[in-house]
Amino acid sequence: MFCFSENRFRGLVAWAFFLCWFSDVALGQAAEAQAEPILVFPAEIVLAAKGRQQLLVQQRLANGLVRDLSRDAMFSSSDPSVVFVTDGVVRAAGEGLAKVRVEAAGQVASVDVVVGPKASGARLSFVADVLPVLGRAGCSNGGCHAKPKGQNGFSLSVFSFDPAADFREIVKDERGRRVFPALPAESLLLKKPTLAVEHEGGKRLEVGSPFYQIIHDWISQGMLYRRAGEPKFVGISVFPNEQRYPKSVEQQLVVTARFEDGSTRDVTHLADFSANEKEIAEVDETGIVRVGRLSDEGVVVVRYMGQVARARITVPTDRQFNDAVYAGLPRNNFIDDLAYTRFQKLGLLPSEACSDSEFMRRAFIDVIGLLPEPGEARRFLADESPDKRAELIDRLLDDPAYADTWANRWGDLFRPNIARVGLKSAYTIDNWIRECFAANKPYDQMVREILTAKGSTHRVGPAVIYRTRREPATLTTLFSQVFLGVRMECARCHHHPNERWSQRDFYQFAAFFAETKRKGTGISPPISAGTEFIYHAPGGSVRHPVSNEVLKPTPLAATPLNIPAGTDPRETLAEWLLTPENPFLARAMANRVWGQFLGRGIVHPVDDFRATNPPVNPELLDALAADFAVHDFDLRHLMRRIMNSRLYQLSSLPNKTNVQDTSSFSRFYRRRISAENLHDILVQVSGVESGFYNLRRDARSVELWTTRMDSALLESFGLPNSSENCPVERDDRPSMVQALHLMNSDKLQAKLADKNGRAAKLSQDDKPSDEVVNELYLALYSRWPSDEEKRVALEAFKSGGAKRHEVVEDIIWALINTAEFVFNH
Amino acid sequence: MNTLNTNCAGIARRDFIQVGVGGVLGLGMSDLIRLRAEAAWAVGKASPDQVNCILVWLDGGPTHYEMFDPKPDAPSDVRGKFDPIPTTVPGVQFCETVPRLAKTLDKMAIIRSICHKDPNHGGGNHYMMTGAPTPVPVNCGSSVSFHPSFGSMVSHLRGINDGLPAYASLPRKSRSAGPHFLGGQHAPFVIDGDPNRKGYRVRDVVLPKSISESRANTRFKLRESLDRMLRITDAAAADPSVDFDSFYQQGIDLISSPEAQAAFDVEKEPAEVRDRYGRNDFGQRLLLARRLTGVGVSFVTVYNGGWDHHTKIFETGFKKKIATVDTGVSALINDLHDRGQLDNTLVLLLGEFGRTPKINKDGGRDHWPHAMSVLVAGAGVPPGQVIGATDVKGYYASENIYSPEDFACSLYTKMGIDPHKILHTNTGRPLPIVNGGHPIKELFG
Repeated sequence: MFCFSENRFRGLVAWAFFLCWFSDVALGQAAEAQAEPILVFPAEIVLAAKGRQQLLVQQRLANGLVRDLSRDAMFSSSDPSVVFVTDGVVRAAGEGLAKVRVEAAGQVASVDVVVGPKASGARLSFVADVLPVLGRAGCSNGGCHAKPKGQNGFSLSVFSFDPAADFREIVKDERGRRVFPALPAESLLLKKPTLAVEHEGGKRLEVGSPFYQIIHDWISQGMLYRRAGEPKFVGISVFPNEQRYPKSVEQQLVVTARFEDGSTRDVTHLADFSANEKEIAEVDETGIVRVGRLSDEGVVVVRYMGQVARARITVPTDRQFNDAVYAGLPRNNFIDDLAYTRFQKLGLLPSEACSDSEFMRRAFIDVIGLLPEPGEARRFLADESPDKRAELIDRLLDDPAYADTWANRWGDLFRPNIARVGLKSAYTIDNWIRECFAANKPYDQMVREILTAKGSTHRVGPAVIYRTRREPATLTTLFSQVFLGVRMECARCHHHPNERWSQRDFYQFAAFFAETKRKGTGISPPISAGTEFIYHAPGGSVRHPVSNEVLKPTPLAATPLNIPAGTDPRETLAEWLLTPENPFLARAMANRVWGQFLGRGIVHPVDDFRATNPPVNPELLDALAADFAVHDFDLRHLMRRIMNSRLYQLSSLPNKTNVQDTSSFSRFYRRRISAENLHDILVQVSGVESGFYNLRRDARSVELWTTRMDSALLESFGLPNSSENCPVERDDRPSMVQALHLMNSDKLQAKLADKNGRAAKLSQDDKPSDEVVNELYLALYSRWPSDEEKRVALEAFKSGGAKRHEVVEDIIWALINTAEFVFNH
Repeated sequence: MNTLNTNCAGIARRDFIQVGVGGVLGLGMSDLIRLRAEAAWAVGKASPDQVNCILVWLDGGPTHYEMFDPKPDAPSDVRGKFDPIPTTVPGVQFCETVPRLAKTLDKMAIIRSICHKDPNHGGGNHYMMTGAPTPVPVNCGSSVSFHPSFGSMVSHLRGINDGLPAYASLPRKSRSAGPHFLGGQHAPFVIDGDPNRKGYRVRDVVLPKSISESRANTRFKLRESLDRMLRITDAAAADPSVDFDSFYQQGIDLISSPEAQAAFDVEKEPAEVRDRYGRNDFGQRLLLARRLTGVGVSFVTVYNGGWDHHTKIFETGFKKKIATVDTGVSALINDLHDRGQLDNTLVLLLGEFGRTPKINKDGGRDHWPHAMSVLVAGAGVPPGQVIGATDVKGYYASENIYSPEDFACSLYTKMGIDPHKILHTNTGRPLPIVNGGHPIKELFG
């Protein structure tokens, strides 16, 4: 059952208008009849003896999309003694030259193949041949033998990041019982995964399969660690790495390993594939992508020997609109230009603009964490100035409540556990963050003060970070996540599974903190906590945990920095990070702030930048970051830019093209109001303060300097537990406990019934009921009631027996317990 | 296109909300509660996925000497001032402080040989509340969360489908009782206040005190007519207000169901039963916990603080405290047994560690993780046994030594959960529910 509203009709009318205006640009069945040439990848093939190469046959359709014909194509070899083709894979048979003929969709193409000579005495290598097989079979998966303590006494490194240790474990450990060169098939390494003996991990290899044979032959050849002159593996690439697909099609991916000497090798059969958004596209273990029926963008992650690559799967909507459609859309700044470019690529049309009421409520919640009072709402709604939205944005960003609201949000990144650093330290850093936002300190300045903090944890706010994070490694985890937007934690223990970062990258970065020293009380229980001094003094180093090599301080994706003798390496790190050209800093912060206003990041989660999690709109993120940097890292400027965009001011109601869009920002995404903001808004609409025990009576919850709070409301709505490691991830999903709390909380009921509260005040005057209802709608929803709503509310006043103030309370209660109230929409 | 919708759909309710049809569940809350209660009361062996758990947490580290592992043959500076007493099992002695539990040993088991290496409250709490050690040392003041707690894990794996919280903690939660990466919806529903007080009501699940049913009826009707924001019903749109509606529906079902309301009301118990648990806050919390698991709440933690006896362990304060636990927990086990619910309920009593053998200068004992006693009853645990042992002075677990991981594996297995199942954190990292460990074989008959 569903109800129509005026809004819905408006949407339908607009839709009909679009349909008349633009005829559909053809996509879909008719286009496939067009005979475009077929394309074969790779265009030429060089194989080593016994080598193989996955072939890909594609055809471009008239609409610009591409379809994969690999599984329907016919292949034949000009010389089967050189190469033969099975299941779309070219396999070397003997040295020589040959051509592979490809026939598909009534067209023919051919590929030249060169097969190299069989090297005499070439033995299989543990590093080059065996480890990839163990990876593919799942042995070195983090859930199996690469768990912290291994599995059943057999332990491998995660994603084979430590081949030497794995070699020792297999060849030398357990007195060599795992391998048995005299009778390779009797080796535990083969008997376990084939279930010849019991194996908790189940069957991972078939006896006699190519993978089995590699391990078998390697053992019988005497177990070589690595061939002399074996080129070092440097990375992988995947083809196609970016492509637009029709819905419901299949696509083979081809994965190529690259080596130091410039050679390459097809490792499609050895790679591991996984899809980020299974609704958009799924992928099977052979690298065949199955595109779903949604139009959106997804990523398939490809892993091989600790290296990653990604294939981006873009699925446009069924309709596309020409340039004129987008040129005709209203736009306020560069954000809209870049967003519309992406919308066009995906076949999306943005939602309509939101109403003034929605805009006002949204802007108030996002900037100052409160709602407009009825008087202000009246004025704004009545204002006919075309610039009124921009003016409201300016006024809110100058509001004194802005600083506490944003300091509270940013506090999630740094708020220490009071049980660890003591009350005074926790208070000191909280206070410093508040001062930064109140003074609108440029972001680069804030970061510099944190990166180079020195002095007493009772006086210097950012020094407290070094009290709670005491090792170079834990500082690296925090700073890389917050300032660079990169989650490095994985690389602390093994090669990052989703990124290029290695342990070397991690500990080289950690080396910037090797000379940071501490003096005084360390971590200590609350209250009694003394002070600790953070300072720099030469001496101290960071070593690679596997090789034990002393590492030079080096930023991510950069060369080692020259640190003059006697200089704090942190100063040098700050110099590198705080240039406008730095590829990390401005992007990470612009994305974080964007996420706060638009409900999700351009990279999402906001601090998870990586190759396998690309920005949905890279051009937009780049432009936003550049604009932020060039305006001296002024946070209010960044916010003003975002809020003034048409994108921020779109309705949350979808049209026919964008109902399934959950990442491109073609409509405003609804989200639940945060714990602290909802609390403060409830105080505001009830007119009754809460009185936190360690703050002024009228303090808002965004002024709390610790999350160690006894508040059922804050806790129900996801106030982070003070025990969580920062930066905390908030859970903003609704829950039944939240519903029960808003409906039944005695404390909230006491606020509604308070004799000095809003309900009491509104019912004391002789204000006509009609006006009381207006007042309530303006206070809770920032809008006027509709006629129907007013009729329902007025009816409540007429029912016999109820006291007037109780009726007002009941209406407030009812309005609080609605989606329109609980969500920012 | 049926994309936009208001929540005009009706809601199951009792008399104070008049219109409406069945809820999303198909069954009303009352039916569900009845069905689950029937399942819970079915006498005989329960299937593990029907087993619910009551975990009694003695915060601070309860002494093993002055409870379940007396050492009468140890020197006096270890033995202490209390005497051992016999139990219902010949040859097994408890300390004189727990006479009622000594008489209940025929319905429960004691493990004397669980041990670990973390002597700090923060770390010990984490280890015994989650089954995972902290990856870095944490001090005593810390409360940390590196792994989901038992209760959160059970809530996550069983799901919160039927409108009752799956995980509750009374009257507060212990330090590491949180959901970690599983998200706020699997945090414990904290039921505070003193159920021994007259007129006690569980917060939020019943109408506010001052609101009559008829007034609530008015409110619900008003809410229904005034909640007019359009919902985007296409699931691919991921509109959170659609979830919001289903949670409100479940919440209203809970408030409207007489059976659910009764589960939260300890005053519905006969005075004689309430007396047996002890007319104090702790005893009545155990009773409330029994009522909650009886209607299908999967995991209830009853927290009892103040077990960090660095001083005065042989004085009145300690004796009173332990008498409360002796009375309450023995009553709980016997009551569950008499009602035929013990097979469907796993009862656990533990803290973060045991206490030092040598009595210190203040007449107390300090932190000692090398030996601790854990009480286990119900869910098919063969009763009347003492599992493992400590050495003659109680320093170290010495026979059938078990780790917190073994304890955790046992707990999950009893509840029908594979303890070695792999979950994935938000960053995609594979994480076994318990890393290693094996179920303690003596707990499985």
